[in-house]
Amino acid sequence: MKRKYIGIERKQARWGFAFTVPAITFFTVFSFYPIFNAMFTSLFDKRVLSLAPPKFMGLGNYAYIFSSPDFWNSIRATFVFTLGTFIPIVIMSLMLATFLTTLRSKKARGFFQIAYYTPAVISSVVAAAIWLLIFDPRGLGNQWVNMILNSPGVDRKWLADKTMVQVSTMIVYFWKYIGYFVILFITGLFAIPPTIYEAATIDGSSQWQSFWRITMPLLKPTIVLVSIMAMLQCLKTFSTQYLFIQGGAPRAPINVITLNIYTTGIRNQRIGRASAMSIVLFLIMLVLTWLQFRLSKSEDVEY
Amino acid sequence: MKQIFKRISWVQILIWLFLLIVLLFTITPLVFMITSSFMTSKQIIRMPFSWIPETFHYQNYIKALQGNDGAWIFPRNILNSLIVSLTVATTTILIASITGYGIAKFNFKGRNVIFMLIMATMMIPFEAIMIPLYMVATGLKLQDSYAGLIVPFLVSAFGVFQMRQYLTTFPSEYLDAARVDGMGELSIFWRIVFPNCTPVIATLGILSFRGQWDNLLWPLLVTQSEKMKTIPLYISKFAEEKMTDEGAMMAVAVIASLPMFILFGALSKYFIGGSTLYDSRKG
Repeated sequence: MKRKYIGIERKQARWGFAFTVPAITFFTVFSFYPIFNAMFTSLFDKRVLSLAPPKFMGLGNYAYIFSSPDFWNSIRATFVFTLGTFIPIVIMSLMLATFLTTLRSKKARGFFQIAYYTPAVISSVVAAAIWLLIFDPRGLGNQWVNMILNSPGVDRKWLADKTMVQVSTMIVYFWKYIGYFVILFITGLFAIPPTIYEAATIDGSSQWQSFWRITMPLLKPTIVLVSIMAMLQCLKTFSTQYLFIQGGAPRAPINVITLNIYTTGIRNQRIGRASAMSIVLFLIMLVLTWLQFRLSKSEDVEY
Repeated sequence: MKQIFKRISWVQILIWLFLLIVLLFTITPLVFMITSSFMTSKQIIRMPFSWIPETFHYQNYIKALQGNDGAWIFPRNILNSLIVSLTVATTTILIASITGYGIAKFNFKGRNVIFMLIMATMMIPFEAIMIPLYMVATGLKLQDSYAGLIVPFLVSAFGVFQMRQYLTTFPSEYLDAARVDGMGELSIFWRIVFPNCTPVIATLGILSFRGQWDNLLWPLLVTQSEKMKTIPLYISKFAEEKMTDEGAMMAVAVIASLPMFILFGALSKYFIGGSTLYDSRKG
């Protein structure tokens, strides 16, 4: 009797394995193979159209990209964009989420949540196209800013000036993703049990004190995780910058790493060099993801 | 008592004001997109901008579908985007659910290793493997085809993760009962497990549909002919052409956003639910 039972278990186990085979095959071919291939290719002088076999050059590609001002510019552009986007997004969305949780009307809260989230529904290419028009010299961007600053007729050069074009890409991203992060924080805020606040209020704590002494410490893990997520998202940015350049903005200030990989690998057909850049991007993101995993494990709060 | 009430209402007013200003910021560009899609380009760039179209300039939409060269390629691009997004959504749901089920409900050797390996792929950003993937696609002669557009996105690690988490809590008694009744493992999955995954199916379906609807990078690499291009590529081409007029550009934007707005209107709950989740394979 016992033996037969093991037999069934085994037979079932085989089914379980069989169910995972399609996914394993897929990830082997389309995730693991490409990343190892990128590591391997990054050691060769490989070009798409060349018939000669790729020449081994050790770390030559890495030496090249790290001595190339163009690549350093990409690193700079990516980090400026990432910092300039994720810090305002995290601060603003945390503020908005906190304010929304204080609203007594559930309907109003739901309405704001959906309204903030709507830009995230449209695709990033559409978002970039809309803002290209808003940032037109005669567009709404100048009109709004000049109305607020009371400076009629000034052109802010949203798409022409090399600082402003970076700010413009940040605004697009900020606009598109703010609602998404508001929702992440609201989920985090509602996970804090109201009894803690009630206890604090009874003990004479003001709302302001409650926020800094209770909400912030308890929300810290969420804040850290959301920040890393936002950073990872920003490091991968491509569509906004690509469309802005197509629309006539200068390339250099917003030539982020992904864009550089695309240009080097596909337009200039330098596969080896592009692979080396890919590996650098991969390593940067790997460190952040590792941090994310570590923090999500160690900082789990129990209420 | 009166004083407390007064102070709270002041804070409330400030909060409302702040919330409304942000609301204005998030909504106006969308309103701008819709109203200006019915305006002549002359009216769009007039200063100051008037929000109500003077005439109902529907010609923008004809121009949008027709393209600047009059080749009517946009409808084909829309169809391509629909085919790719729907296929990816379907395969993601199917493969993720069966894999998640296998990992969650069966005890086999190497189960945890397999799960860890699949999770590890989330750390590989698509942007870092696009060049080798492009080489794989050209090697398999998949460039400029639907297969080429679809195959790298058949399933996502994130989807497997979601399904596995969801199915871990699925009562095993149902499965055992079905086994006792002599039901085969495949039909147990298809007739008992799969129909019970609807919330995850909806979230995953929307997420992967949207991922492809929004995908610019991969189609940019893998397609060459105009008739294989997808909506994001059409928009970027349209934005770059010199003779494109602003109204038609916004009409393209409205057409491209319509399916997403409809989905969002009907299933906003799953959008918002899905947004708390993180997908690394968005492209």
